[in-house]
Amino acid sequence: MEVIRNFPDSELVANIRSGQRMEDTIKAIYRGHFEGLCWYVMNNSGSRQDAEDIFQEVLVSFIELVQQDKFRGESTVKTFLYSLNRYTWLNELKRRGRALAREEKYEKGQVHIEMDAGHTIANREGKAEVLKVVAELGDTCKKILLLFYYENLSMKEILDQTDYESEQVVRNKKYKCLKQLEQMVNANPALRETLKNLIHG
Amino acid sequence: MDNSTPEMDEKLVRLLDGDLSPEERITVEQQLAGNALLLQQYDRLLATKAAIRHFGLQQQVGAIHSQMMAELNAPIKKISPVRKMIRYTSAIAAGILLLVAGFFAYQYFSLTPEKVFSANYQAYELNTSRGTTTNSLIEEAFRQKKYEEVIRLRDAATEPNIKNEFLAGAAALELNNLSLARQRFASVIEQNKTANTTVLNDEAEYYLALTQVRQKDFAAAVMLLEKIQQDSGHTYSAKVKNGLLNDVRKLSDQ
Repeated sequence: MEVIRNFPDSELVANIRSGQRMEDTIKAIYRGHFEGLCWYVMNNSGSRQDAEDIFQEVLVSFIELVQQDKFRGESTVKTFLYSLNRYTWLNELKRRGRALAREEKYEKGQVHIEMDAGHTIANREGKAEVLKVVAELGDTCKKILLLFYYENLSMKEILDQTDYESEQVVRNKKYKCLKQLEQMVNANPALRETLKNLIHG
Repeated sequence: MDNSTPEMDEKLVRLLDGDLSPEERITVEQQLAGNALLLQQYDRLLATKAAIRHFGLQQQVGAIHSQMMAELNAPIKKISPVRKMIRYTSAIAAGILLLVAGFFAYQYFSLTPEKVFSANYQAYELNTSRGTTTNSLIEEAFRQKKYEEVIRLRDAATEPNIKNEFLAGAAALELNNLSLARQRFASVIEQNKTANTTVLNDEAEYYLALTQVRQKDFAAAVMLLEKIQQDSGHTYSAKVKNGLLNDVRKLSDQ
């Protein structure tokens, strides 16, 4: 049976920074904040599906901001997530041309997302394009690159999870995959800009 | 200066992966600082790595999202009104049962001979006869609660007297001299039996039974109390209720 537990803000942020216990940490954020954030979207012209999509975006943005040290703990995680949620949803409403005067007024009065954070969370289409380009890679390349750059596994650990003969073969394959993806990214200037914002804010 | 050789490219990837030695790293970073093209090349690698990490995070969140939606949207089983009623009734019944069981358990474990005695004992009082001035010395002493004097006068009497015997027993009971009280009450019963009289016999039986309770001679007390209860003409028959008898039986079982 899974043990359900809540994390204090400090532990939650520390886990995200170190990349440790990510699954438990993400689940804790869902249990603690999903309903509240969902309620906001659904009470501001959004559907349940909108609320779920926005929450996922907010969560990804939050994790990336924490990993870039852009969450400085000046507010609670809850306040920060609620601000991100409002900002992301109102941007989406604007994009759809459906932002109500009341909501825009509210946005001007309440949303205080700092500009550096704003760069990271904005550009919904750009982020979708990033996902699309990586998804176009072959499955083997995706697997090796994700194991190495996202899950931070060593070559030996990756070798155990693949059918390659040696670590050197895995290393060569990873190099080729990285170069292939680099070319795909390089071919799209808008994508490069989005990624630049993801790295530097 | 164009450094975009395969060797340089490999070094940039190793810098990206954190695989360079400290010396190699310093050298490559110096080359990057002095070569804009090389820096662009490295920025492209950083962007590629960022794309992979963003993709990985999105995938992980997406996978957890499905699990969490299943957990958070799990339907809450609705209980029918009848089942709800049964559940509440059972809970109330169980609560009452627990209280009753607790009450009886408390009664059982807190029962002592002293408690039973105190609940049923009332000091014997002599009737006041208006206009009568011929009270004996022993009666006068009893009225004045001079219990030691009562016992002394009884012992000093030359002829046995059932009433004096009873008063001496009652005085001994007041003084908590249980063995003497028992002797005196038993003597009252014996003398009445011999003389075929009933002077203060009912009183003697009742107080004797209470004395036996305090002495923890429960078997004798139960026998006597049962006799009193079954005799409808007994002065203390109504006083010996089932509660008293049950309490003495429980003490006998402990």
